[in-house]
Amino acid sequence: MQRIISFLFFIITIGLLSAQNVTISGYIKDSTTRETIGKAQIVVTPVKTTTIPSDTKVSPDFRASTNGYGFYSITIPQGKYTIQIIAPSYPPFAQTITAKANEEINFLLIPEVEGVGTVIIRSKRNNNVKSLDISTQSINGQTIKKIPAFLGEADVIKSIQLLPGVTTVGEGASGFNVRGGSIDQNLVLMDEAPVFNSAHLFGFFSIFNPDAVKDVELVKGGIPANYGGRLSSTLDVKSRDGNKRAFQANGGIGTIFSRLTLEGPLAKPESKKLLKPRSTPAKSSFMISGRRSYIDVLAKPFLPDNLAGSQFYFYDLTAKANYSYKRDNIFISTYIGDDVFKAAGLFGVKWGNSTVTTRWNHVFNKRLFSNFTYYYSRYRYNLEFTNRDVTFNWKSNIVNNSAKVDFNYFYNPKNTIAFGAQSTHYRFIPGEAVAKSATLNLKFGLPDRYALENAIYISNDWNANGKFSIRAGIRVSQFMYMGPGKVYLFNREPGKQGILDSMYSTEKGQIVANYINPEPRLGFKYQLNNNSSIKGGYNRMVQNLHLISNTAASVPFDVWQPTTNNIKPEIADQIALGYFKNFNGKHEFETSIEGYYKTLQNQVDYIDGASLLLNELLEADLLTGIGRAYGIEAYVKKSSGNLTGWVSYTLSRSERQVVGINDGNWYANRFDRLHNLYVVSQYKLNNKWEFAANFVFSTGTPATFYTGQYTVQGYVVPDAGSNARNNVRNPDYHRLDLSVTYTRKKTKKFESNWVISCYNVYNRRNPFSIYFATNFQNKGQNEAIRYSVIGAAIPSISYNFKF
Amino acid sequence: MKFLFNQIQRNSFIILLSGLATFLAGCEDVIQVDVVNKSPKIVVDAFVNNTLDTQTIKLTRSIGYFDSTGSEPAITQAQVAVVDQSTSFPKLFVFNHTANGKYQFLPNPVTGDTFSIGHDYALLVVIGSDTLVSFSTLNPTTTIDSLRLVDVEGNGPPINTTGKYVELMAKDRKGPGDFYWVKTFRNDSFLNNISQLNISADMGNTSRGQDGDLFIYPVRYNGVNDFSRSFKSGETVRIEIHSINAIAFAWFNLVVSENQNGGLFATPPANIFTNVVSFNPNKKTAIGGFFCMSAVTAASVTIP
Repeated sequence: MQRIISFLFFIITIGLLSAQNVTISGYIKDSTTRETIGKAQIVVTPVKTTTIPSDTKVSPDFRASTNGYGFYSITIPQGKYTIQIIAPSYPPFAQTITAKANEEINFLLIPEVEGVGTVIIRSKRNNNVKSLDISTQSINGQTIKKIPAFLGEADVIKSIQLLPGVTTVGEGASGFNVRGGSIDQNLVLMDEAPVFNSAHLFGFFSIFNPDAVKDVELVKGGIPANYGGRLSSTLDVKSRDGNKRAFQANGGIGTIFSRLTLEGPLAKPESKKLLKPRSTPAKSSFMISGRRSYIDVLAKPFLPDNLAGSQFYFYDLTAKANYSYKRDNIFISTYIGDDVFKAAGLFGVKWGNSTVTTRWNHVFNKRLFSNFTYYYSRYRYNLEFTNRDVTFNWKSNIVNNSAKVDFNYFYNPKNTIAFGAQSTHYRFIPGEAVAKSATLNLKFGLPDRYALENAIYISNDWNANGKFSIRAGIRVSQFMYMGPGKVYLFNREPGKQGILDSMYSTEKGQIVANYINPEPRLGFKYQLNNNSSIKGGYNRMVQNLHLISNTAASVPFDVWQPTTNNIKPEIADQIALGYFKNFNGKHEFETSIEGYYKTLQNQVDYIDGASLLLNELLEADLLTGIGRAYGIEAYVKKSSGNLTGWVSYTLSRSERQVVGINDGNWYANRFDRLHNLYVVSQYKLNNKWEFAANFVFSTGTPATFYTGQYTVQGYVVPDAGSNARNNVRNPDYHRLDLSVTYTRKKTKKFESNWVISCYNVYNRRNPFSIYFATNFQNKGQNEAIRYSVIGAAIPSISYNFKF
Repeated sequence: MKFLFNQIQRNSFIILLSGLATFLAGCEDVIQVDVVNKSPKIVVDAFVNNTLDTQTIKLTRSIGYFDSTGSEPAITQAQVAVVDQSTSFPKLFVFNHTANGKYQFLPNPVTGDTFSIGHDYALLVVIGSDTLVSFSTLNPTTTIDSLRLVDVEGNGPPINTTGKYVELMAKDRKGPGDFYWVKTFRNDSFLNNISQLNISADMGNTSRGQDGDLFIYPVRYNGVNDFSRSFKSGETVRIEIHSINAIAFAWFNLVVSENQNGGLFATPPANIFTNVVSFNPNKKTAIGGFFCMSAVTAASVTIP
């Protein structure tokens, strides 16, 4: 480990030799809304008369890309250059400049307008081949909206689930699995703040409103050092800034919910000299976007009488405001959402996330960009039920407050350095319950838990000679489990339930357990030619928050636990290697094939019969084991022409070995799927009609089935035999979805379309789970029951508008 | 309480999702699944008590999950004995095979062939080359003050039927570490539905630290009644409190949770442990079942 670290420091610091250059820096923005554009590629090609000194020569051209806030900086020798900017959904942009002195240049890109002439959606022009990112996929809001969706509602997570390496346990399961990792191993960020449950309605929809989303990036491997805290992936969701030039509204009316987004400039345009104030952007803008379901209203006729007074809805609200002044940008964004289910007089459940993020971008100088973030994030759920005259109310929370700072230092054409630090305070309320009646008021629950997590990181993108680039970085994370609270010490035999040895109370701030973990990160790219490259990556990830769940699918009531003196940090090491090639003919194709191998340590599992709810001695019921996951992902994407879309195929395995489970032998994880084929396609017939189709095939997930039974004292004891964990495969999952979009003729001020879609067209009954029950008519006879959450084709219609 | 929470959580979800599933045309259907019970287990059903009734230990082999219960093959050629280890010379109680894998012993107070509270016992079973052994202490049980009859109006779950129900007026023994199995008999037939398996750790739940007083409501009331059938005039209700131990309590809890582990939020099926071990280290004979010695206290009432 030490050798790896010193090697990394060598890589980070190598080649920080500068020459006499000029720096061009600034922002890249959308010309209509003035929203910044992240991850845009800037290609700077010297014109023939410009000679480049050999020590700064990196390749035929210089390259840079904007960071997440649309800022770029590139240092080049003095001379004349052609600047090309390539960003998804924007036509290629080119301009010639003369670089004499340091200069600030902001570029405005004109978005591709649908329905005007025969404009084709351009691909990123080899962005995938030329960028250093491996195992990274980004989708923007527009693409998400084009995929046929469940009940006609475009969805961020559902779109992510069609990418290579991403799977889900099934309809009705929250979250997603990346490269054989469990759902809690994905860091889901909404404007930098982590979201602990990304599901509405048991995972049928995600909490991200596509109207409010600017872009989404999923990083599955070679994870850069600025991300940390989860083992498998990072899903970075960025919300839109809001139109800085004009007021705009868009929304939709769907089968399940309706949505509305309002956005516009907040302050008056800066310059009064201009005759057309509308054309000058304001210094600040806002965006507010909301959704509310009315499934409760629609479901009412179908509900049994005793559930007639039921509440059954979810809502979410995303809002953002920003203000820019010279070298500073300030953003405040918030998300609030809840799912509420209430059956009158019986029970009620409610769960939801809320986040608040404030960010301040400051450009110190032309090469040093900084971002300061403070966020608050909370996930909570409440459960209430009434048993005759006694009412139980139970709640659980995870609250965190975090401050972080990130710097991008565009040192020279060959080196871009990112560094920063983060500190997060966590409060866990694992369970607080109150039982109330006329005569009773009983409070009980589990003690709160506290933790502090700190991290520092540094990473350098080093472009060695134009062909070979390296991204090397290191993140050092520290996790302190601390008081006030109760600490439990157990006597443990491997694979057995722990026996309480002693326990003691801790003072506020008293450190119970402290873990420091270096997390080296490495990525490289070797450019074979303009159209192809080989990329590889290694990352070590450490995770200190654990979602405690032993049900088949994750449910909103699963409890988050910190790393403690008994629960060790989870650690994953992953290597990934990929070949990327693009075909740029009449039709443009992006292709890639990637392989990965991952090992995992300290994976949390459970003793047989573990009880996870309101169990003070929960840690005694936890077991730890090791895991491994490996696979190959193939991906072909067509991004030009009338027919666009992608095909992705993943061959993968995800396994685990835990002393005390499955007789200590390796077994397949609950979400292991060997084959995964996703086909996503859109066909644009003309400006009015657009068709789309999805096809999904996945090998069935494994499940544990009882094989035998016996009777003791008249009670049937079911039995799974030896080597039984996940001994059987559920049937394969496959499904076809279709949709048609009819766009009405656009007027100057108003645009609208109708989307008619059908989910699960050929009526497949994909099992969510297979479970066993005793047939009551024939007592003593067990049977296997297939439960399909969606057992039929689900048609839907929705109407979307924008003005 | 924990158990209650699990139950309610699961139930709420099922109601919730079935509501949702109705809307989404979700469905359930019975399918054929091929599972093979590769190597049947030897099953020891050995709950022995200190009453003067005939004591029975049953030996069978496990059957396939989709076979009908009651068809378990009996083990008839075994030797079965319980040994009292607390007497100065270990005292042997031999159980003889009667029929269908049942091995029986009739206590005799005249000769002193009875099981005593506080004594440690061992179970010995010899089946061919397998020698099985298990240990259990006969713990003391508590006393029953009375069985109280209550008139209740049934107005929906959990009490559906109006009529007479019974309340077990009994206190947990002072001091922590007492475990009980409460068995209710209606006209001498044991209410053996799994949902009525009624066990208690001290007053009901050790983690709450409740000790030495009346059993909690779920034990003394919910657990002793079948709320779909109130007691009718002339019927007799008998309630027995059997002392068990911590391991038996855990074992019963697992039997309950595995039997009710169905539906959407099922946890992976797990094998329930046994406290019977094989002496033969070379041969891996899989064993299921349980050995427990109990003291019994009982009370009965006839509905007027």
